Amino acid sequence: MQPYDIIIIGAGGGGLYAAMEALSANPKLKVAVVSKVYPTRSHTSAAQGGVNAALANRHKDDTIDLHIFDTIKGSDYLADQDAATILCEMAPTVVRELENLGAPFSRLEDGSIAQRPFGGASKYRCCYCADKTGHTILHTLFEQCLRRGVVFLNEYYLLSLHHDGKQAQGVVVMNMANSEISILQAKTVIIATGGYAKMYWQKSSNAAGNTGDGQAAALRAGLALEDMEFVQFHPTGLRKSGLLISEGARGEGGYLVNNKGERFMSRYAPEKMELGPRDLVARSIEIEINEGRGFDSDAGKYMHLDLRHLGASLIKDRLPQIRELAIYFEGVDPIEEPIPIRPTAHYSMGGIDVNNDCETAIKGIYSVGESACISVHGANRLGGNSLLDILVFGKIAGRVAAEQSVTLTHKPVSSSVLEDSKKEIKSFMDPTKTERYGELREALGKTLGENAGIYRTRKNLEKGVADIMELKERFKNVRVHDTSVVFNTNLFQVLELRSMMDLAETVARGALLREESRGSHSREDFTKRDDEKWHKHSIFHRKENGEIVVSYKPVTMGKYKLEERKY
Amino acid sequence: MDAEKKDIYFKIFRYNPEVDQESYFDEFKISVEKGITILRAMNYIKDHVDPKLSYRFFCQAGICGSCAMKVNGVAKLACTTQVWDELKKCKTPDVITIEPLGNLGVVRDMVINYNPVVDKLEKFMSWVEPAKKDSAFGEKEFIVAEKDFKIIDAATDCILCASCYSECSILDAHKDFVSPLVMLKAFRMNADTRDTASQKRLNLLTKDHGIWDCTHCYKCVEACVKNIPIMDGIHGLRNSAMNRGMKGEGYRHADAFRKDIYNVGRLNEPLLLLRTKGIFKVIGMTSFTIKMALKGRLPSLFVKKIPGLKKVRELMRSTSKR
Repeated sequence: MQPYDIIIIGAGGGGLYAAMEALSANPKLKVAVVSKVYPTRSHTSAAQGGVNAALANRHKDDTIDLHIFDTIKGSDYLADQDAATILCEMAPTVVRELENLGAPFSRLEDGSIAQRPFGGASKYRCCYCADKTGHTILHTLFEQCLRRGVVFLNEYYLLSLHHDGKQAQGVVVMNMANSEISILQAKTVIIATGGYAKMYWQKSSNAAGNTGDGQAAALRAGLALEDMEFVQFHPTGLRKSGLLISEGARGEGGYLVNNKGERFMSRYAPEKMELGPRDLVARSIEIEINEGRGFDSDAGKYMHLDLRHLGASLIKDRLPQIRELAIYFEGVDPIEEPIPIRPTAHYSMGGIDVNNDCETAIKGIYSVGESACISVHGANRLGGNSLLDILVFGKIAGRVAAEQSVTLTHKPVSSSVLEDSKKEIKSFMDPTKTERYGELREALGKTLGENAGIYRTRKNLEKGVADIMELKERFKNVRVHDTSVVFNTNLFQVLELRSMMDLAETVARGALLREESRGSHSREDFTKRDDEKWHKHSIFHRKENGEIVVSYKPVTMGKYKLEERKY
Repeated sequence: MDAEKKDIYFKIFRYNPEVDQESYFDEFKISVEKGITILRAMNYIKDHVDPKLSYRFFCQAGICGSCAMKVNGVAKLACTTQVWDELKKCKTPDVITIEPLGNLGVVRDMVINYNPVVDKLEKFMSWVEPAKKDSAFGEKEFIVAEKDFKIIDAATDCILCASCYSECSILDAHKDFVSPLVMLKAFRMNADTRDTASQKRLNLLTKDHGIWDCTHCYKCVEACVKNIPIMDGIHGLRNSAMNRGMKGEGYRHADAFRKDIYNVGRLNEPLLLLRTKGIFKVIGMTSFTIKMALKGRLPSLFVKKIPGLKKVRELMRSTSKR
């Protein structure tokens, strides 16, 4: 295939925004988006609630500064303050740009973009399209990419990322339709492959493919990952499936209620109540359950999210998708009954270590969105900031790659990597191998949920690390039973599991080392935030022999001083 | 308390062009708990019985559109369909049939070729052509009135799952037909007050295999997993084509149809054809006409007024006022 100026891996909001922006900056560039799913399948579609921008349409006294402060406080002061500033400063522009391009935002009476309250936000700042915000944003971006003539390589799987130690060379991909492996030569590569929270499998709100393929490929290629131990648990997953009930449900006024009928958030966040930040609400639910105030069922213990007082018309109008999910997956109509919920792994704050221009240490390799760690979310992301992150930094990555690709020259990938890839794929199909994919995947999800979940201790995390190392050993003996070259989903599932295994080790090791509680990372044996020792980012490298090495780098501070976080 | 459980047979379409001459069905018997979706049952089969079973799935929450397939003959999302609900629809008790979507061609098992959908989205300009120059993007939002927003709201629910594409009877007859979901997108774009390309889009849509080919069978509306009134969108496009005086064959057909009903209460089929196609095209169809006459299938040129024509006219007048 022809050499490209820019290859973008991943067709969610971040990847598509980057593609659109790169071609708008320089229409002559050869840009291709490579995705393992058709673009509108990407997990951006599942973001329900909205996107934050201090437009001040609803609360006239909202400001960008307040948005910055809320983001930094929400992050438990682990966000880099210069990055958070860029995020919030560019928010009104990207939201309006998206609106100009056709995103169907809900409206206020005066016809301007509507805004709703959201967790951890001091003002009504979250712009939305009913509860299908991510879906409509993803479609709008896909439509605009079609308009600009972006080349799509749909259903191509990323096998490996290549550079010469200084500069990007390209990627090796497999066409899923016929298993053809090819090198895509590129001056620049933007990794936009989304998060890795599916590694918690049974206890995750994520799509089946949110397996961190891009981060794992980067780690194998010697790039650094950052803050991997920070995985956000969303307070309101459905009891049986872990599927998500958006924060929009609480934004519109939903109550969290325990088996005594109490709105228990009054104990943990007396002021913000249900609209405390996600880490705090998720922990509060766990405490209530552990202290015997949860409901019991075959599918485990749970809490009630009660929307009944909001009335049928509001639920139908503003939360139609949530109502559908509750009916489909729990058989509960929220107009009539409370929704059974429990916390579920939801978002990866960690990711590929990049600077504010989305650059890694290798020239021409960038990352954006959930696959990246810039870091704007620190130890805990605020609701409505993830869509914002992909828009703002998608735009920045697209522009930076467009500018830099003009000055860079092609560095060819050695053709021997093709043979290596083919051999590796074939080795998975060796009939003497005995391990079953499904078993390993369940075991990984189970140990992560039990030992590296919402509450963590040294003892559990040590067990978690040991389990993961054992599973990685067993993975070497995993067998792909399907040997067909036509759309071999069995093979891709196994490759995705490899990504999750590699990243799970960084999550558990990072969590074991970090002896404090900050944001989503709660240690029962170190219950306080320890700024003196731990106000720093974790950095993960992989040595040639596969060993993971952890180092640290300082947090970029600004005008906001360290403070205790209260809601 | 243990959940209700039952042995259920899944009769699943299989085809891998690499090894199979023809498609066939496999049957898997598994024990299923009440509350399990079709997708979870299939994942169980893939994980525990046959890892080669091939299908797409992603979000598992009914929003990404990957896992549309035919369940007991009807296109739907596997992830939002409960096994227990399907048991009521089985032809043979406790046997649930799973097949790929129709009208798209099979890659393998339930994996269909989705490229025609993307190609048509591109061909029919399924995007807002914004009224602003690039340089002015992001400065201000457009002001959109609630009533204008309401018009496009339902159409933006579409997840491009292609269930409507699968069930469309016109696509079954001709693969180049624009398709329900692309018409719905076009309607949504044309009705958007921020868009500037409605005329261009209508020009594309009123060519062969465009909006006038739809026969209102409503199968798309029945199939829609998001309950979108797709037909309202198709009618919306046709109305705006007519309102703009785009008097092509489709317009002439609809107009002649309406006039016949108003004038005599029934169709004069030969004249309907003449008024739709024009004299030259009809002359070109002479051999077809002769064949019809020989088979005794040629409708009469003379059509009598129906009794109760007054009532029909009243009805037509009252609906046209609305």
